[in-house]
Amino acid sequence: MKKLIALSLAAVALFATSLSQSAIDGVAILQKVDRNLEPESYEMYRKLINIEPDGTKKEFVLFSVKKGKDNVAALFLAPASDKGRSTLRQGDNMWLYVPSVGKPMRITSQQSITGGVFSNADILRIDYTEEYTVTRAEDQGDTYLLTLKAKTVEVAYDQLKMVVDKKTVLPLEIEAYASSGMLIKTLRFKDIKDFGGGIKRPATVETDSPLYKGYKSVMLYSGLKKRVVSDEVFTQGFMSRLEELRK
Amino acid sequence: MKACAVAMLWILSGMAAQAEEFVFNASEFEKKPYEFGGYLEQKFETLSLRGDSSAYRIAYPGEAPRDWLNRTTTTLELSGKTSWWGFTADARAQASYAADTLLERVSYGALMDGGLRWSAGPALTVDLGKRVQRWGKGYAWNPVGFVERPKDPVDPTASREGFVMAGVEWNRSFAGPVSALGLTGLVVPTNDNLNNDFGKQQNPNPAAKLYLLAWDTDVDLMWRGEGARPQSFGADFSRNLSPALEVHGEWAHTLDATRTTVSESGVSSSKQLDYSAYLIGLRYLTLGEITLIGEYYHNGGGYTADELDDYYAFMDRATVQGASASLSSKARTVAQSGYAKANPGQDYLYLKASKAEPFGWLYGSVALTTMANIGDGSWQIQPEVSYTGFSNLELRSRAILLGGPENAEFTTKTSNWRLEAYARWFF
Repeated sequence: MKKLIALSLAAVALFATSLSQSAIDGVAILQKVDRNLEPESYEMYRKLINIEPDGTKKEFVLFSVKKGKDNVAALFLAPASDKGRSTLRQGDNMWLYVPSVGKPMRITSQQSITGGVFSNADILRIDYTEEYTVTRAEDQGDTYLLTLKAKTVEVAYDQLKMVVDKKTVLPLEIEAYASSGMLIKTLRFKDIKDFGGGIKRPATVETDSPLYKGYKSVMLYSGLKKRVVSDEVFTQGFMSRLEELRK
Repeated sequence: MKACAVAMLWILSGMAAQAEEFVFNASEFEKKPYEFGGYLEQKFETLSLRGDSSAYRIAYPGEAPRDWLNRTTTTLELSGKTSWWGFTADARAQASYAADTLLERVSYGALMDGGLRWSAGPALTVDLGKRVQRWGKGYAWNPVGFVERPKDPVDPTASREGFVMAGVEWNRSFAGPVSALGLTGLVVPTNDNLNNDFGKQQNPNPAAKLYLLAWDTDVDLMWRGEGARPQSFGADFSRNLSPALEVHGEWAHTLDATRTTVSESGVSSSKQLDYSAYLIGLRYLTLGEITLIGEYYHNGGGYTADELDDYYAFMDRATVQGASASLSSKARTVAQSGYAKANPGQDYLYLKASKAEPFGWLYGSVALTTMANIGDGSWQIQPEVSYTGFSNLELRSRAILLGGPENAEFTTKTSNWRLEAYARWFF
C-alpha cells in the first residue's frame, strides 16, 4: 500500500512538473528576448576584441544598422587596414564588400570576417525567432532554459541552449551546437547597461570555444538606439556608401 | 603594513586594468568631415629568368642574358574623402618606385580613382570622375568586365586604375522573391587625351547594368554600346546552394570585334568576328574550413594553341641577335597587342585552396593556387602565406612557379619562377 501511495505521489509530482514546463511559453520568451536585446530596427556601434592565449589583442570597430527581422548591414571603422569594409545580410544571404576588391562577394554564416571566435552569424545576428524554433522550455528557478533548433540548414548553429534570466528576460548564456551534437562555442552576456530610449541590455558579450582553446572574443556595445532607415540601405549597391548613414 | 599597501595597490591597479580592458564609447568614432588614409608597401622579389627567351629580350632590350635578378618596389597609396550636403568628394592616388638589377621605374603619382558623388538618398546617386567598375562574379577572370581594366589573375584583388566616366545608380528594395533591383547607367568618353587606353576615337561609349536579387540569386544583365570598343552584352549570376557552397557564372557576347593574328613569318592579318566568352565557378568551404575556389574560363576571342605557336616562333625569330631592325620593331608592336594579355589563350582552369588560421594560427592564412592553359598544357602554381595579426600591418609571401611544354604560355614568360614578399602598413 505504501508503495502504491509513493508511486502515485511520484506520478502526480511528475505530472505537475510537466504541466509547469508546458505552461512556459518558450516562443513568447524568445520573442521577448529578441526585443529586449535590440529594437527591431536600430543603429549601434560595437567593438570586437580577439584575445589570444598570451594576452595579445586585436580590435575591430563596427557601425551597424538593422531593419525588420532579417536585414543587417555593418561597416568597419577600425582598424585602418579594415576601414571601409562592409557586410550585408538579407536573411540567409551574406556579402562582404572590400574597397580594394570593389564588389560584394558572397560569404557564409560559418566563416569569420574578423578572425577569432565570433562567426559572421554572430556579427550579423538577426532575431533568434527568425532562425530558430523553440523545442523545449524549462523552468530552472531564477532562469529559463530554452532549447532552440535551427529552422533551416543555412543557419550557422544547429542547436542553441539559451539560459534566460527570468527577471530581465535577457540571455545570460548561450551554448551553440553543431548538428553532430558538438559544442561549437559559448556566449556569455554581461554588464547590463541602460542605453536610453527604454533599451536596457548586456553591453558585453564574451565567447570562447573548445575549438579555439585559450582564445576569447569580446563584443562591446555602445550607441544602441532605435532607427529606421530606408530599405535601399540593405542592397549591394549601398554597401560602399554605408558611411553616409553615420551622423 | 607597507607590504600590505603595495599589495592592495597592485590588486587595485590590476582591477582597474581589467575594467579598462572592456570600455568602449561610440563617441570616440564620431564621423569626421574629412578622412585620410592609405598604405605604404615594401616588396622584395627574386626572379629566376629565362635569359634566352624572346620575352626577356623584349623586356630588357640589349641586355645580356642572365639567370636571375632581384627587384624592390616601394608603393605609397593615399586616399582622402570629404562629405557635405549629400555630396562626397574623394580621391585615391598611388606612387611607386621599382628598381631591379637592370632597370628603374618611377611613377610619381597616378590618380587611381576619384571624383564627386551626389547621393539623393540611399536609392539614387550621380557620380562624375575616375571610377573603377568591377562587373562580374568571377574570381580570377571577368568576361563581363566591359568598362574596366582587366584583372590580373595572378593577383585578382590588386587595386586597379579606373576610367573617367559619368554614372547614375538607382537601387530599390521589394518584399517578395525579387527583393532588390539596381540600375547603373554609365558614359565613358574617349578621345586622344581622355581614357585613350579605352579607345582613341572620339566616342561617348555608353554602358548599363541591371542587377536583381531574385530567389536568393544575384543576377546581373550588362550592355556596352558600340563606340571605341565593339558592342557587348552579357549576364552573370551567383548563388549560395548551401552555407558552404556558392556557384557563379558569367557569359559575354561581343559583336563585330577585330581580331589580329601574326604568322610565323610576321605577317599580320585582321578579321571581324562575333565571339562569346564565359566562366563557370564555385566556392566551397570544406568541413576542415578550407576554402576551395574553382573556375573554368573560355574566351572565344582568345588565341588557339596553333596561333600562339606561330606567335612564339615569330617572336623567337624577330628578337634573336642579328634580326633586322624592322622585324624587331614589329615584334615589339605585336608583343603589346592582344598577345600581351595576361591570359591570351582560349581555355583556362583556376583552382585555389586557402585555409585561414591553419593549425590554430590566428590571423595567419595559407593558400595554394593553380592556373592552367588547357590548350597548351602549361601551368602556374602559387603557394603563399600571409599574416595580419599585427595591427594595421599585412605581411605576405608567395612563390610563383611556371611550367609545362616548351613554347607554351607559361613557359615563354620572362621568368620560370619568382619569390616575393611584402609588408604593407596601413594608416
